Amino acid sequence: MCSGRVEPAFILNAFENGADGVLVAGCHPGDCHYRAGNNYAEKRVEKTKKLLDVLGIGADRLRLEWISAAEGEKFGSVIKDFTEKLRVKGPSPLGGRELKAVPVKQNSAESIHDILKRTKALYCQECGKCSSSCPITRLDPSYSPRLAVEKALMGLENDVLTDKGLWSCLTCYLCRQRCPLDIEYDELIRTCRAKASSNGINGQCAHEGILFSLSRLMARKETSQNRLTWVPEGAEIAKTGDIMYFVGCSPYFNVMFDDVGVNNIEIPQSMLRVLNAAGIKPVVLENERCCGHDLSFSGDLDNFEKLAKINVAAIKKSGVSKVVTTCPECYRTLKLDYAEYLGKQNLEILHSSEFLTDLIANGKIKFDGKISKKVTFQDPCRLGRHMGIYDSPRKLMTSIPGVELIEMERNRENSICCGVSAWMNCSRHSKQMQVERLAEAKRTTADLLVTACPKCQIHLNCTMSEKLPVKKEDVVIETCDLSVLVARAMNLTPSP
Amino acid sequence: MTGKQSVLIIGGGIAGIQASLDLAGRGFQVYVLEETPTIGGRMAQLDKTFPTMDCSICILAPKMMECFRHPNVKLLTYSELKEVKGTVGNFQVKIKKKPRYVEETKCTGCGVCAEHCPIEVPNEFDMNLGMRKAIYMPMPQAVPRAMTIDKENCIECKMCSKICQAGAVNYQQEPQTIELNVGAIIIATGFDQYNPSEIVEYGYGKQKNVLTALEFERWVCASGPVGGHLLRPGDGGIPKKIAFVQCVGSRGSKFGAPFCSSVCCMYATKEALIVREHAPDVNVYIFYNELRAFGKGFHEFINRARNEYGVTYIRSRPGEIKEDPKTKSLSIWYDDTLTREIKTLGDVDVVVLCPALLPREGNKKLAGITGVELDSSGFFKVTHPLLAPVDSTVPGIYVCGYCQSPKDIPDSVAQASAAAARAAESLAMVQVTPKGGTK
Repeated sequence: MCSGRVEPAFILNAFENGADGVLVAGCHPGDCHYRAGNNYAEKRVEKTKKLLDVLGIGADRLRLEWISAAEGEKFGSVIKDFTEKLRVKGPSPLGGRELKAVPVKQNSAESIHDILKRTKALYCQECGKCSSSCPITRLDPSYSPRLAVEKALMGLENDVLTDKGLWSCLTCYLCRQRCPLDIEYDELIRTCRAKASSNGINGQCAHEGILFSLSRLMARKETSQNRLTWVPEGAEIAKTGDIMYFVGCSPYFNVMFDDVGVNNIEIPQSMLRVLNAAGIKPVVLENERCCGHDLSFSGDLDNFEKLAKINVAAIKKSGVSKVVTTCPECYRTLKLDYAEYLGKQNLEILHSSEFLTDLIANGKIKFDGKISKKVTFQDPCRLGRHMGIYDSPRKLMTSIPGVELIEMERNRENSICCGVSAWMNCSRHSKQMQVERLAEAKRTTADLLVTACPKCQIHLNCTMSEKLPVKKEDVVIETCDLSVLVARAMNLTPSP
Repeated sequence: MTGKQSVLIIGGGIAGIQASLDLAGRGFQVYVLEETPTIGGRMAQLDKTFPTMDCSICILAPKMMECFRHPNVKLLTYSELKEVKGTVGNFQVKIKKKPRYVEETKCTGCGVCAEHCPIEVPNEFDMNLGMRKAIYMPMPQAVPRAMTIDKENCIECKMCSKICQAGAVNYQQEPQTIELNVGAIIIATGFDQYNPSEIVEYGYGKQKNVLTALEFERWVCASGPVGGHLLRPGDGGIPKKIAFVQCVGSRGSKFGAPFCSSVCCMYATKEALIVREHAPDVNVYIFYNELRAFGKGFHEFINRARNEYGVTYIRSRPGEIKEDPKTKSLSIWYDDTLTREIKTLGDVDVVVLCPALLPREGNKKLAGITGVELDSSGFFKVTHPLLAPVDSTVPGIYVCGYCQSPKDIPDSVAQASAAAARAAESLAMVQVTPKGGTK
């Protein structure tokens, strides 16, 4: 295989499967049959090394070497040298290969009928409100929430589980929002995916599934990450206290998505600076794990549970009474999906938009600066429809002097998903949704598209960074996360 | 007249009117309590009735007048129930009659005062589509035919009292407490229309060309705010496409009501026919969930609409109704569930939402005063749904019309007669049990 084809996901996969080190060997630069394959390999390996550092596996367990097919001797010596070095280092901190247990999670054992009952889908009137609302169905009518429910109602379990459409769903909650009977489609899809997954059927993961690999690796007890390097100089975090800042996966996204024009790490950095400025020294876990949202929505309930348990134990141990997140997916997961693991713990989970709005109301945050900008806002599905938070991000933005908020045509409850969810099925439909959404943002005449979800920002910027069938000036707009905007308005970070 | 020979009827809509006429005809003294300035209720707001296509007010107004002129009926309009004590055969009732600031007996309803009144506010009777003055009659056929001053909006310029030749205006009028002794009570409070602005994807309240069914009734009514001209509410343009959307807030668990309002399939068809009769070139679409045309001649009515009038029926609850910011025309996103096609119906001029019809909010207060029970949906409970469909949970108090369960006009009228008969029966029973027991 050309070294250019070696995705970071493959490398992580090797570590997941117990490798102590990975050697990528490619043709010498200039010798590439495809001209640039090895250049790509170089970039990819660099990126993966950074990920390995954050993960705590260590960059030195990955090695890239240029060895041509004629250099048998070099091949031998490189292998010898690498294995020797690994032997000195010892086995991978993750331990050996984790034998994949047969999923036994209760949810996947639930019968289709029970799932229909629990999600209230038995009440479906087949009125078509969901399907005519679904942004995916409008682009690809072969999938619709109604058809999925109808098939399940007809007892066609196999059809439901093998339907490719099962993985197209964005779980954006628009259908559930509008369903007169409040059928829990998002939950229906989540559980059916787990069921399909336990039958060996999986969806197509974006980025070859590397983000799932990362989550799975974080679900290992042995994992000891090195994830606090982002904390900016002069900023303060604590080990114990009352308020925790749950950072989310930005340290990884920052490495993964540096090529789509998003500086993801800006989000936690800004948030931390804002909190510090308000006199808060938040607890930040040095070995915080992925919240598991994406695993939970892509059928891997086993690993989700592991992550939940590890995070809950760490949160409980820290003794905090409030957890603040900047990521709406963490927010939903901690607040809703962790509830059964948290038990009756007296813990308040807040999204940064709520928390910062409160700080402003209490006079803890003051804006010295002014941002003379027209902004528009992309409601993240998890924050808006899933959790019902529409007002606080708007309140937060408009409390910044000089900011004028112009709403997009489809806003709040009617807002449209950024096109991809849980790193599944990034398709041409996703691109079309993103192009339409960006054009909508552009039509507001706003200078800045503010999001409150790191993933919305990544997805929209990804589309803008690509070749597009439309005029760039009709869709390209500056994006910015809510907490970054606040930090800029407080003169804590420079505006670009 | 003593308690045992008189009946209080709460609500002056078609059910209350029918019950009052039945009882008055049998020689009982009847008091009709109505909270607005006129009797007539919802039926008075309708343009036409199904399935006969009668002009609604034309068949109602004679009954309203009959009620007004009947020697045994006393109308207590613009009034509120304050207190009910006692038991069957002997209820002591306190009613607050709000001041109209116009003497009902003197006012001739000529309306000259309203012509001179400088204050204009939205007319509730026209579902706020049209305007009325601060001194007003809700509709031309109001009964009693007397003006009312809306004190909240009145600026007391005294123009009306200067202009009134009958000397009917009286700013000094005070609220009046009326105490009655009645033997039985009939509750007929009707319904309220669910406000669909909560269902944000339909844009009601934000998109001018999205109306509710009752608004539509006033809109196409010759005596309504636009004289019955079929023009777009947003800009007065001539519509070419009108769509009706059924089950807006009904039959759901999230918004509105879990039950079926039972009349929407039929009235939407009636309204579609009205459109086609007004303007045969307008294309009419009805988005339905299930067609519930269960009454005599009902299904035939729908077939006629479909086959003779060319009304298009589409089985779907639309997902979204979107306004074109420039033209203000609407596009409806829907899934044709019979053909399984995801479609958009574009360039729709007017969308009429058929919202759930809910038991009135005030029923809770009424239940508190009278002691009758409500069911979980807010309808008045009856002691047996099959065998005692008009007996409330308090002996001597009966219920009829929409406030008991969803129903149309003929059923409301029939039930009103039933309630009147049961009330009369209870009073007869009281006569043979001297101590006023319920027996």
